[in-house]
Amino acid sequence: MSDKLKQIISKQGQQQDNDGLNHSDDVVQLVGFIIGEEEYAVPILAIQEIIKPFPWTRVPQVPKYVVGVFNMRGAVIPLIDLRLKFGLSALKQGDETRFIVMRHGDDIAGFVIDRLTMAIRIKKTDIGPAPDTINGDDTMIDGVGKQEDRIITILKVNKLLERDF
Amino acid sequence: MDEFQEILQDFLIESFELVEKLDEDLVELESNPEDLELLNGIFRVAHTVKGASSFLNFDVLTHLTHHMEDVLNKARHGELIITPDIMDVILESIDLMKALLTTIRDTSADGGIDVAACVSKLDKISGGSGDVKGPAVVEAEPEQEQEKAPEVVEKTPSEDEPDYDNMSPDDLEAEIERLLQERQAEDKQKREAKIAAGESVVSLEPDDAAKEEPAPQPVAKTPVPVTPTPAPAAKEAPKGDAKAAAPAKKAATVEQTIRVDVKRLDHLMNLIGELVLAKNRLIKINDDVEERYEGEEFLEELNQVVSIVSLVTTDLQIAVMKTRMLPIGKVFNKFPRMIRDLTRELNKKMELKISGEETELDKSIVEEVGDPLVHIIRNSCDHGIEIPEVRVAAGKDETGTIKLKAYNEGNQIVIQIDDDGKGLDADMLKAKSVEKGLITLSEADAMSDKEAFSLIFKPGFSTAATVTNVSGRGVGMDVVKTNIEKVNGIIDIESEVGVGTSMKLKIPLTLAIIQALLVGVQEEHYAIPLASVLETVRISKDEIYTVEGRSVMRLREEVLSLVHIGDIFEVERILDSSEHAYVVVLGLGTQKLGLIVDTLVGQEEIVIKSLGDYLKGIEGVAGATIRGDGGVTLIVDVVALMDIAKNVKSTVMTESSSAAQLTLEKSKASDYCVMIVDDSKTDRTIMRKALEPMGITLVEAADGQEALNILKAGDHNFDAMLVDIEMPRMDGYTLATEIKKYNRYKNLPLIAVTSRTGKSDRMRGVESGMVEYITKPYSADYLSSVVQRNVNFKSEFL
Repeated sequence: MSDKLKQIISKQGQQQDNDGLNHSDDVVQLVGFIIGEEEYAVPILAIQEIIKPFPWTRVPQVPKYVVGVFNMRGAVIPLIDLRLKFGLSALKQGDETRFIVMRHGDDIAGFVIDRLTMAIRIKKTDIGPAPDTINGDDTMIDGVGKQEDRIITILKVNKLLERDF
Repeated sequence: MDEFQEILQDFLIESFELVEKLDEDLVELESNPEDLELLNGIFRVAHTVKGASSFLNFDVLTHLTHHMEDVLNKARHGELIITPDIMDVILESIDLMKALLTTIRDTSADGGIDVAACVSKLDKISGGSGDVKGPAVVEAEPEQEQEKAPEVVEKTPSEDEPDYDNMSPDDLEAEIERLLQERQAEDKQKREAKIAAGESVVSLEPDDAAKEEPAPQPVAKTPVPVTPTPAPAAKEAPKGDAKAAAPAKKAATVEQTIRVDVKRLDHLMNLIGELVLAKNRLIKINDDVEERYEGEEFLEELNQVVSIVSLVTTDLQIAVMKTRMLPIGKVFNKFPRMIRDLTRELNKKMELKISGEETELDKSIVEEVGDPLVHIIRNSCDHGIEIPEVRVAAGKDETGTIKLKAYNEGNQIVIQIDDDGKGLDADMLKAKSVEKGLITLSEADAMSDKEAFSLIFKPGFSTAATVTNVSGRGVGMDVVKTNIEKVNGIIDIESEVGVGTSMKLKIPLTLAIIQALLVGVQEEHYAIPLASVLETVRISKDEIYTVEGRSVMRLREEVLSLVHIGDIFEVERILDSSEHAYVVVLGLGTQKLGLIVDTLVGQEEIVIKSLGDYLKGIEGVAGATIRGDGGVTLIVDVVALMDIAKNVKSTVMTESSSAAQLTLEKSKASDYCVMIVDDSKTDRTIMRKALEPMGITLVEAADGQEALNILKAGDHNFDAMLVDIEMPRMDGYTLATEIKKYNRYKNLPLIAVTSRTGKSDRMRGVESGMVEYITKPYSADYLSSVVQRNVNFKSEFL
């Protein structure tokens, strides 16, 4: 009986590998957004949801860029302003402002962005490494994607969700 | 007997579970007779039940399971193939086992069921003669627990002598156990036989019948009616009845339980939490609707529905909470043994009295209180209870008593540990703490006895002269405090030297949902656990004094330190609120702190949610909750708050008063207000004449006391005061000192106007808070220029 099971499992494993080869291997799906002047992107699978801004609660004793916590269907989630985190000045939230809720493992947080651009499919071969000047493990930049005339900075979700204070 | 009952309970729960599983396994085994894994599993079940039942003196059950075990053992070792016939017998034996277990559950005894036939079949299968005599109590009545099967006496060992050589070590052990068991049973019976004389030779007949009837017995016959046959009952009536009452009452009713993964309960609790939040929201909406459509008919209906929902939610919450409750006895149980060991180790005589062990507490909390209790009790044994000689000399009973009790008190459970030992000596505790550098001398002097008692919780504190095995490392009590505070509990110590110490641990029943006081500061709200709130008072801001740079207030006979919630949570104070503020008096053990807030919002049931990993460890914040309006409100961590408060500078009212001054824009000269304080009418008139040309508002007071009263009345917002030094009732220096005690007048310019010209007078003036010193006589221009300078008089008004 257990042999059969093993067979099935191994079969499934093979199938998955095949799927991987067919699709996700050479194309990555990203969601692009603007902060300040730059376009950034994160993998679509890391995004739990994108919502319009709504009220949040300030939290004391945290860096400025952690603007507070908000209630997402019963869960209390931290809210981080990426403008402030990236050293830009604060901007009043407008019609295009969105909260992007990202998840990595058990870590979850909402990020304030200036506006969304689009869902991006990009070939892996079109993604270059982060510029030499900012490499090392500390960087938030996963790579730089080139598409037509645009350059998109791809961010590491796990780094974004890492507490650095 | 109680202990026995508890073991019995566990045994029954376990056995029923095992048997349940056994059925499934056996059925599978039949289709898969070679499966060693299954066989082993089944064998283990029989073995476990046998072991436990022999321990509990259930001879019939032991006898049966022993033979089952034999058969299964053979099958396990491949000496026997399980044929359907054999399986029938095994299944029959299992049915018997179930019946026996049921009987045990109902009557606490395993009589009333004839296992002999089945046993002999089992024996045949396992290669025996099939002629087996067991301790079967065929006609047995429930009450026979005491008169445990006299038949065994006749049992000849040779008849079912197992082959020891073929036994696995486990079996051998079990067999030895069984023999011992039989031996004990025999002894017991012999003794009883003597007492009961002829009476107890009851069951010879049925036993013989079993012996002579090796032929298969229909299974249907097995659950022999439990009602005793009239004969033995009559025979035994005289003593049987008396005894029957007791065991019947104690009949081990198995709690109808199922085991549930704690995760499921947690999930359920989370859902209830959501429901409570929704309920709060519903109540809020109901209030809004009520306001808007007052007098409408449908309101009543809505009200009813809302109250039903809220009632049911509350009940549901309690019900789910109860499923997570465990009796505190689970923790208490280990202490008698601990005390016994400590008694020996410390050469003291001690006795532990436990009560209230049935008090229930949330599972997660039960797990947290174990360690603290160990430390506290060890501490009581080591430091509290004296050695017998000392006790006798002090006129106490040689044996020290430690009382451990638990009881409910409102929404809390209280665990109280009392000892009648030597008690805590506040002075000694203070001296030790100073010596160890934990507190300063002045702190020690200012301490009340109660505060001194709580010194024992300081890390690194120990009064033990030497570190013993039991205590003295100065770690234990620190652990106690940390653990208890972790579950939002508080510790209260009372002690009297020579009489004893009493410690109370007050712990909330649950961690997930609490009652909280919601307070507001500026636009923000915070929730304070109601368990830590002693009272709330409304004060006027004048009642806040400053002592050594800290804000304090007088609360009845006590001086209470104050801290503004805004200073702790970095709230920007834009709007200054009214003259009044609310003080939430927080209490944590012996510590007290007044938390100044702008508004009190109300009391609400809140669900504690974690802020998550990203925001964990924010000082002063215990978590967050979601309010009726969907917003998030932070929950104040009272323990941390007390610590933070110690380091917060008294900014309480200064910021707001300066803000107030800024907001009160001066639009005309008469907006400026200056008070003239002088006992001489002439002097007041001279000053008035000098200042009147500016067009400012002037208020006069004849002495310090009057000036203070005018100031307190708050009818005017003074920009400066001209103060004479020499005055009846209250002089200028005293007045200045008094004024400076009020935070809101800290920056009020006080100008001394006096004929005293000595240097020391000027010095005193500065010390008491005067900013200018004008000596009489003066020119009118000079006076007005000084006043203008001090009130920041705008030149356009000139």
